Amino acid sequence: MKTKTKARLKSPWVLHYDCGSCNGCDIEILAALTPKFDAERFGIVNIGDPKQADLLVVTGPANRRNHRVLKRLYDQMPDPKVVMAVGTCASTGGIFHNCPNTLGGIDKVIPVDVYVPGCAARPEQIIDGVVLALQKLSEMSEKEDD
Amino acid sequence: MNENYIVNIVLPVLLTLGAPVVGGLLMGVDRKITARMQSRVGPPLIQPFYDAIKLWNKRPVIASRLQPVLAFSYLGFSLLAFGLLMFRQDLLVIVFTTALADTCLITASLNSKSPYSYLGGRRELLSVLAYEPVLIMAFLSIYMVTGSFLVDEVLAYRMPLLIQLPAVLIALVLVLIVEMKKSPFDVSASGHAHQELVRGVYTEFSGYTMAMLELGHWVKVTLVLSIVTLFWAPNLLIGAALSLAAFFIVLVVDNSYPRLTWRSMIKTTWGVGFILILANIVGLNLMGVI
Amino acid sequence: MTAIVLGASSLGLLYGERFIMTPPPLCQTAVLLMDFLLLGYFLYVGIKKRNPLVMGLTVLQALPMAYFELMGWGHHTEPVIVVDRLSVLLGIIINIVGPLVCIYAISYMGEHEDHLGLSKSRQGRFFLFMLLLLGAMNGLVVSNSVYWLYFFWEVTTLCCYELIRHDATEQAEGNAQKALWMSLVGGVAFVAAMYVGHYAADSIAMDRLLVAQPTSLLLIGFGLMALAAFTKSAQFPFHSWLLGAMVAPTPVSALLHSSTMVNAGVYLILRIAPAIRGTSLSWAIALIGAFTFMLTALLAISQRVSKGILAYSTIGNLGLMILCAGINTPLSYAAALTLLLFHSLSKGILFMGAGIVENRLNSRLIDDWEGLLGKLPFTTMTMLVGMVGMFLPPFGMLLGKWVAMDAVASSPTLEGVPLILLMVIGSAATTLFWAKWLGHLTILPIRERHSDPEVLLAPYKLSLMTLLGINVLMSVGVAFAINNLVVPILVGSYGAALTTPGLGVNTGVGTFLVIPLWAAFIIVPLIGIYLARWKGGSIETPYLAGENIGEDGLSFRTIADSESEFKVAGMFLDDVIVEDKVARFGVAVGALLVLLMFVLAVI
Ligand code: SF4
Repeated sequence: MKTKTKARLKSPWVLHYDCGSCNGCDIEILAALTPKFDAERFGIVNIGDPKQADLLVVTGPANRRNHRVLKRLYDQMPDPKVVMAVGTCASTGGIFHNCPNTLGGIDKVIPVDVYVPGCAARPEQIIDGVVLALQKLSEMSEKEDD
Repeated sequence: MNENYIVNIVLPVLLTLGAPVVGGLLMGVDRKITARMQSRVGPPLIQPFYDAIKLWNKRPVIASRLQPVLAFSYLGFSLLAFGLLMFRQDLLVIVFTTALADTCLITASLNSKSPYSYLGGRRELLSVLAYEPVLIMAFLSIYMVTGSFLVDEVLAYRMPLLIQLPAVLIALVLVLIVEMKKSPFDVSASGHAHQELVRGVYTEFSGYTMAMLELGHWVKVTLVLSIVTLFWAPNLLIGAALSLAAFFIVLVVDNSYPRLTWRSMIKTTWGVGFILILANIVGLNLMGVI
Repeated sequence: MTAIVLGASSLGLLYGERFIMTPPPLCQTAVLLMDFLLLGYFLYVGIKKRNPLVMGLTVLQALPMAYFELMGWGHHTEPVIVVDRLSVLLGIIINIVGPLVCIYAISYMGEHEDHLGLSKSRQGRFFLFMLLLLGAMNGLVVSNSVYWLYFFWEVTTLCCYELIRHDATEQAEGNAQKALWMSLVGGVAFVAAMYVGHYAADSIAMDRLLVAQPTSLLLIGFGLMALAAFTKSAQFPFHSWLLGAMVAPTPVSALLHSSTMVNAGVYLILRIAPAIRGTSLSWAIALIGAFTFMLTALLAISQRVSKGILAYSTIGNLGLMILCAGINTPLSYAAALTLLLFHSLSKGILFMGAGIVENRLNSRLIDDWEGLLGKLPFTTMTMLVGMVGMFLPPFGMLLGKWVAMDAVASSPTLEGVPLILLMVIGSAATTLFWAKWLGHLTILPIRERHSDPEVLLAPYKLSLMTLLGINVLMSVGVAFAINNLVVPILVGSYGAALTTPGLGVNTGVGTFLVIPLWAAFIIVPLIGIYLARWKGGSIETPYLAGENIGEDGLSFRTIADSESEFKVAGMFLDDVIVEDKVARFGVAVGALLVLLMFVLAVI
C-alpha cells in the first residue's frame, strides 16, 4: 500500500454533526471515544472542523431546517472524504419518518458511504462502521492515483 | 574534510533538518503517555506522521492567497530559530526569530476573515504575551551566570546551569506548557475545546497548510525542550533526560488541570515565572555568585 | 530645495573632523534679541488665550534670562558651535527624513485642504514652520553654548505650537497650548540649568560643563537638563502633549515623531550622558525611560485610533533610548544611537502611510482599516514592511532593541533587575500591539470586490519608497552604518563597544548574524510563494458553523432565518487597560520618579 493511502487510513479525523437526533446515538459516539473503546488507537480524532475532517459522522434525520447546514459542512470538507450515517434516523429517518418537517435519511441531502443501523447504534458497531468507511477511503485513494 | 567542519556545519544542519522528526516523535510520545494516563491504549507512536502525511495529500483548500505563504513562513522561521540554536548562536536572537514565526502564524489566522480563526489568533497573541517575557527573563538569568548569550559559551560553562538556576528551570516549564498549547494554558487552540473555539487559531487551515503548521509546532516544541537541555550542558545526555522529565511534567499537568482563561494564564505565567526567576537572581546575588 | 542643500552639507560634514566655530558677537546679540522676541510672543499667546500656565512659565524664564544677560554672564562662551559625530548623526537623521516628510506634505496638504474645503490656502504658513523647525533642529544639534541651545529649543517649541494649531479648530488650539506649556516647563528647567552651570562651573559652554568636576550642584544642573529633555521627548509625566499633537495634519506628526522635536530630548540626554556616568542620577533617568517604555507599550494596546498607537509607540521607543542612555555603558550608548537612527526611519514611513490611508478612508479607527491590503496595496505593503521593521528581526530597530537588552543585562545585577523587568514586559506588549494591527490590515475578502485602483501622487510614492529603501538598505548594511555613524561617536567618550565581524554585529556577549537572517527573511517567503503556486488550492468560504449565506463568506443565517453580517473587531483589552486610569497612574509615578531623580542627584 502506498504511504499516502496508509496515512489516510491511519488518521481519520472526524467531524460529528448532529442533525437533530434524540441524542441517543451521540452518546454512543462519545462512548466510542472513551477509554473502554478508545477510538484514538486507530488515529480517530474528533476534530470538529470541517476543513480538517476526513470523515463526516451524522446522527439524526435531515429536516427542512438543517439540510443546508449539512450540505455546507459536507461541501467545506476537502476531498477525499467519506460520510457515515449513524443510527436508524440518519439512515432512513427512523422514528421521525413521515414527520412533516423531516426529509428522511441524510442521503436525501448528501451522498452517504456507510450506514450504521441501530437505535441507538452500539459503539462496537460504530467503530465497525469506521473500518468500512476506511475501506471505502482506500478504494477512493487508489482510484485517485490511476 | 576535517572534524571541525563536521561539528560546526554538517551536524547542526542535520540536527535542524531532524528537528521535525524528533518533534513528531515527541508528539507521538505525548499522545501515547496521555492515553496511558487515561488508561487507554492510545495511537501508535508515529501517529503524528500519519496525520501530517494525510493532511499534505488532501485536496488543497485555502482561505486567502496569503495564507499558504504565511503558513510556510511559520515553519521556515521556526526552523531558522532552531537552526540558530544548533549553530550555537545568540539566545536572544533565537527568541526574536520565534517571535517572527509566531507573527506569521498569527497574521495567517487573522487574515482569513473568519470569526473562530480570528478569535484564536487573538488568543495566540495573548499566549505570546504570556510566555515571551518569561523566556527572555530566563535567558537573561542564564547570561548573568555564564556571562554570554551565545549558546556556544553556555555549553562551555564550567558547571550545570541547573545547580545555579533551579527556579528558572521551573519557570521554563511554564513556558513549555504555553508553547505546547497544553492545558491549563491552551487558550488559543485546544484539542478539547471545539464547542467554543472550533480549532482556534488553526480553524481556517486545511490540507497542506495545516500540515506545515503541525511541523512548525513540532519544531517549536523541540526548540524549547532543547533549551531545557542546556541546563545540564556538560553532559547533554543528562540534559536530554532533564528535558524529557520537563516534558513529562507538562503532560501530568495537562491531564490534571482544566483550561484557564487568558487572564489567569498571564497572571500565572508572569506572576509565578517572574517571581521564580527574580528570586533566583537575587538569591545568587546575595550569595555573591553573580 | 533648502532640504536638499541641507542634506548634502550634513553628509559632507560626516567625513570632516570635529568642526568648531564662533560666530561674530553680532550674531550673539541677534540671538539674544530674537530670544526675547520669542518669549514676548509666548507671553502674548498666554495673555490672548488667557492661559495662566503659559504666562507664568514664560515670565519664569524671561525674568531670570534678563538678569542673566544684565550680569553679562552669557558672553564668555567659546566656542558657540561645535559639530562632532553625534551632531552629524542627528544632522543626517534630520536632513534625510525631514525633507522627505516635506516632499510628502506637498501632496498631503493639497488633499487635506480639499477635504476641509478651504477657500484660501494656508500652506505658506504651514511650510514656513515646517522648514523653520528643521532649521532649528539643525541649529540645536550643533550648539555648544547652552544659551544657543536654549534658543533653538524655544524655536522648536514655537514651531511645534504653531503646527499643532494649524487647522485652527478648538481641539487643535487646546492641544497646542498643552504642548506649549509642557515645553515651556522644559524651557524653565533650561534657564535654571544655565544658572547652575554658571555657579558650578563658571561656564555655560556644553563642552566645559561636561568635563567639569561633577559636584552635586552640577548634577542638579544635568538633572534639570534631563527634565527639559523629558518634556521634549514626552516621557511620563509629560507624555500627553505628543498624543494631543495628532490633531495636526499628518506631516506634522511625521516630522515631530520621527526626525525632529522628540529627538531633541534624546539628543540632550545623549549629550550629557558621558558626564554623569556611574551616578545614581543616570540610573534614575534610566528608570524613567524604562517605566515609560513599559507603560506606553501597554497603553498602545488599548488604542483604537491609528495615530494613537503610533504616538504611544514613539513615546515608548524614546523611553527605550533614554533607558539606554541612562544605563550609560558603552554598549547601551551604542544601543541608544542605533535605536535613534532606525526609529526615525521606520516611524516616518508609518506616519506617512497612515496619513494617506486616513485621507482615503476618512477614518482613523484601525477597525475600519480591515482588509486595507486589498484596497490600497501599495501604501499598505509599505506600512506592513514598516511595521515589521518596528519589532521583528532582521530589521535595524530590532537590532537596536537586542543591543539594548544585552546592555541592560550586563549592567550591575541589582540595579539592572527592575529595568530588565520593565523592559521585557514592554517588549512583549510591543509585539502584541504591532502584530494585531498587522494582521488586521491583511484581511483579504474572498471574492475580490471591485474597488478603484490605487492612485498615488508622485510625491507620496517618492517619499515613501525612498524612506523604505533607506531603512532596508541600512538594516542590511547595518555593519556599515554602525562603523561609520555609531562607533565614531563611541570612540570619543566610551570606547567602541560594537564590532562587526562578517557584516554581523557583535556586542561582546552575543552576535546578531545580519546577513544570514536577512537571507532567510527573503528566501523563506519566496519558497512559500513558490509552494503556494505549486500546491495552489481553491479559496473557500470560512467556517461559520455551516450557516453561511452565499459564496462571499461575509454573512450567516441567524434567528428566524434572518441574515446577519459578521464583523471581526480588533483586540484592545480596554476593559483591562483603561487608558485614563493607566495614564493618570503613569503621570503620578512619573512625577515621583522625577522627584527621585533630583533627590538622587543631590546625594
Ligand atoms: S436512531 Fe434512535 S437513538 Fe439514534 S438518534 Fe434516532 S431515535 Fe435516537
